Amino acid sequence: PADTRDAAQPRVRSAPAPVTDVARLCVCDLLVAQCDVNCCCDPDCSAEDFSLFTACSLPVVTGDSQLCSQKAAVYSLDVEANPPERIFKLIDQVNPSIFCIHTANYKQALYLKSPEIPTPENFDQLLDKFGGATFSAEPDGWNLDTDAQNPPDANETSRYEYGVPVQTEDAFLRLPSPVVSSWCSDANPAGFLVNQATKCIRSVSVEKCDSIQALSMLFYINSSILAVPKSSQMVNITVQSVVVQSLNGMRTLLSSSDVLRLPMVLDELCINAVLGVNYHITHTDTGEIIEAAAAFVLGAISKEALSIEQSFEISFTQENTQPVPLSGNPGYVVGLPVRAGFQPQGYPFPAAFLSNKHSQLTILHSTSTQDCLAAQGARAPVLFGYNMISGCKLRITAAMKCQPLAQTLLDVLKGQSFPEYVASFGNSQAQDVLDWVPITQLHISEQMISHTLQGSCQIPVSLGIEVKWTKYGSLVNPQARIVNVTATITTTTLKQLPSGRERIIPVTSSVVFTDISSPAEPSYKAWPTIDIKLPFDFFYPFV
Amino acid sequence: SSQLSSLPLQILLYVNGIYYIFYFLATLAMIIYKSQVFSYPDDLLAPDLAVLFLMGILEVPRLYLGFKGNLTEAEAPLGLSLGLTVGSVLLCVYLLLWQTYVLWADVLLNAVLLSAYGLESGLKVTAIAAFVS
Repeated sequence: PADTRDAAQPRVRSAPAPVTDVARLCVCDLLVAQCDVNCCCDPDCSAEDFSLFTACSLPVVTGDSQLCSQKAAVYSLDVEANPPERIFKLIDQVNPSIFCIHTANYKQALYLKSPEIPTPENFDQLLDKFGGATFSAEPDGWNLDTDAQNPPDANETSRYEYGVPVQTEDAFLRLPSPVVSSWCSDANPAGFLVNQATKCIRSVSVEKCDSIQALSMLFYINSSILAVPKSSQMVNITVQSVVVQSLNGMRTLLSSSDVLRLPMVLDELCINAVLGVNYHITHTDTGEIIEAAAAFVLGAISKEALSIEQSFEISFTQENTQPVPLSGNPGYVVGLPVRAGFQPQGYPFPAAFLSNKHSQLTILHSTSTQDCLAAQGARAPVLFGYNMISGCKLRITAAMKCQPLAQTLLDVLKGQSFPEYVASFGNSQAQDVLDWVPITQLHISEQMISHTLQGSCQIPVSLGIEVKWTKYGSLVNPQARIVNVTATITTTTLKQLPSGRERIIPVTSSVVFTDISSPAEPSYKAWPTIDIKLPFDFFYPFV
Repeated sequence: SSQLSSLPLQILLYVNGIYYIFYFLATLAMIIYKSQVFSYPDDLLAPDLAVLFLMGILEVPRLYLGFKGNLTEAEAPLGLSLGLTVGSVLLCVYLLLWQTYVLWADVLLNAVLLSAYGLESGLKVTAIAAFVS
C-alpha cells in the first residue's frame, strides 16, 4: 500500500511559483496564521488588530520601479477614525523618466530565478555546475579540472612552475607525509620549488621487512624524474650518501654509496631499513630539472618495534648558485630567523660577512633540567617578531670561583659566537655594508654603585636583546626593517657564601621586538596645474 | 515646368537621412545602457544588435535609391527603394515591440521613424504613379 501511494503522487519538479501580484505580496507577514504587529498587509489580521496598530511598517508594495507604469499596493492607517482602520489602495505608479521600461520581453529579468529542484535525471548536471569550490556566472567557461588538459596551457607545460608536482615516469615524486593522523601516506607529491620536511610513522614487522616496499632504498630512487612535465627526458635519482644509524642512535657515514643496500632480516633485526630520505633537486632558472640526488639514513629495526618514524626532506637549488636562506624579501617576515653576521677583522672596509648557521642570533633554550651548567649548547634561533624569554637556574656553592663562573655564564647567555651585526632587511646581501646594523652591547649592574664595593665579583644573570624595528616603504605594503639592536647584560654581585651553603639564582635571557615606526602619513600627488602663459605679443595692436 | 520629381519626397528623404543617423546612435547608446543596468544575457543582446545594424545597412541603399529615383524621375530605383522600405519597417516594428527591453525613449524614436517611413512610402507611390503615367 505504501508503494502505490508513493507512485501515485508525482514528484515536485520545481519550487512553488513566485508570487507577483502586489495585492497579495506581504514581506512583513512573518508569523504563520498569526497577526504580525504593525504589518498592514498581513491577511491574518482582523479589524480589531488593525485598530491597535500605531503605524504601517510597510507602506507600499510595488514591483520593479524601473517599469513605466505598474501597480502598487498602498497601505495606510487612518488614525482619525475611531477605531483606527487600515486603508488599502491599489494604484498605478508611473515612472516619469524617459528611460523607464515600457515593455520587458525578457520576463526573467524582473524576478529572481526559481532554483532547479534536483531529480535523479538532472542531479549529475547540477553537481557539475554547483559541486565545486566556486560557482561561475558562465558554467561553460570554468574548467574545474586540474588535469593538464586545458588547451591554453599546452605551451606553458614545457617547464615546471612553483607548486606543480614533480612528475616521474609512472606518477609523481613521492614525499611520504602524515595525512590526518601520523601514519605515512605515500600519495603526497613533492611540489616544485617547495622545500618540505615531513616526519611520519610507518607500521613495520621485522619478519616481513624485506617485503615492505617503503623500507627499501629502491622504492625511493627507482623511477626517474621527468626533466620537464610531459617530456621524455629523464633524470635519474642518484644516491648521494648513505648514513647507517645503529640501534643506539649513532650514525656513520658510509664511504661507498654505490652499493644498493636492501633491507634484510639478520639476527632478529631488520637492517638497511630506510629511516630517512633527503632529496636534493637541482634545477635551471627556466624550470627544468637537471639533477636529482637522494641521501639516505638506513637503520635497524628491532623485533619488538611495531612502527618506526621516517623523516623526509626535499630541497631545490638553482644550478650554479649558492643558496642563502632569506628571511624576507625585502622586509623581515614574522617567524623567520633574524640574520646576523660578523665583520672580518683587519679590513678597512668590511668586505664580506659570514652568515652561516653558526653566527645566527640565538638565545638560550630552556631545557627540562633547568640547570645552566648542564645544558650548555642548547640554543634557539631568534625569530623575527617573536618575543622570547628563556632561562635556567644556577646553583652556586661556596666552592665556586667568581671569574670562571662569570665567564661560563656569559657563554651560556650569549652562546659560542655572538654576532656583531644584524641584517636590517630580510634579504640584505653580505656585501652591502650599510644594510647591516651593529649590535650595541650594554652592561648594567643590578646593584647601586654606592652599595657595593667596585672590586667585588660581578656575574651576569640576564641578557636582554631589544630589537627595534620600523615599517619601511609604502603604506599599503610596509616592510619590516630592523633599525637598532641592543644587547643588555645585567650583572649582580656574587656574595661569598659560608661554606656548605648553596644558593640558586635564576638566569634569564629574553628577546623583545619593539615597533618604533612613526605613524604613516599618506601623501598624495599634487594636483596638476595648468600652466598657460599667453605669448608676449598676444594683444599686439592694442598694447 | 513639367517637373515630375516630388519635392516633399526629396525633403522627407533628406530629413530621414539626418534623423536616421541620430536614431542609430541613440538606439545603440541605449542598448549599451540597458546591457549595463539591466540583466541582458548575451543570447538576447546579439539579435537586438544584429537587427539594429541590419537596419543601418539597409538604410544606405534605400535612401540612395530614393534620391536617385526621385531626381532622375525613374520608377525602377524608386520601386526598389520602396521594397527596401518594407524591410526597414519590419525591423523598426521589431525594435518597437519585440526588443528585450523597450524603453519609453525607444518607443518615441521608433514611432517617429515608423511615421516617417509611412509618409515616405505614400509619397513614393504617388511619385511612381506620376512617373509611369
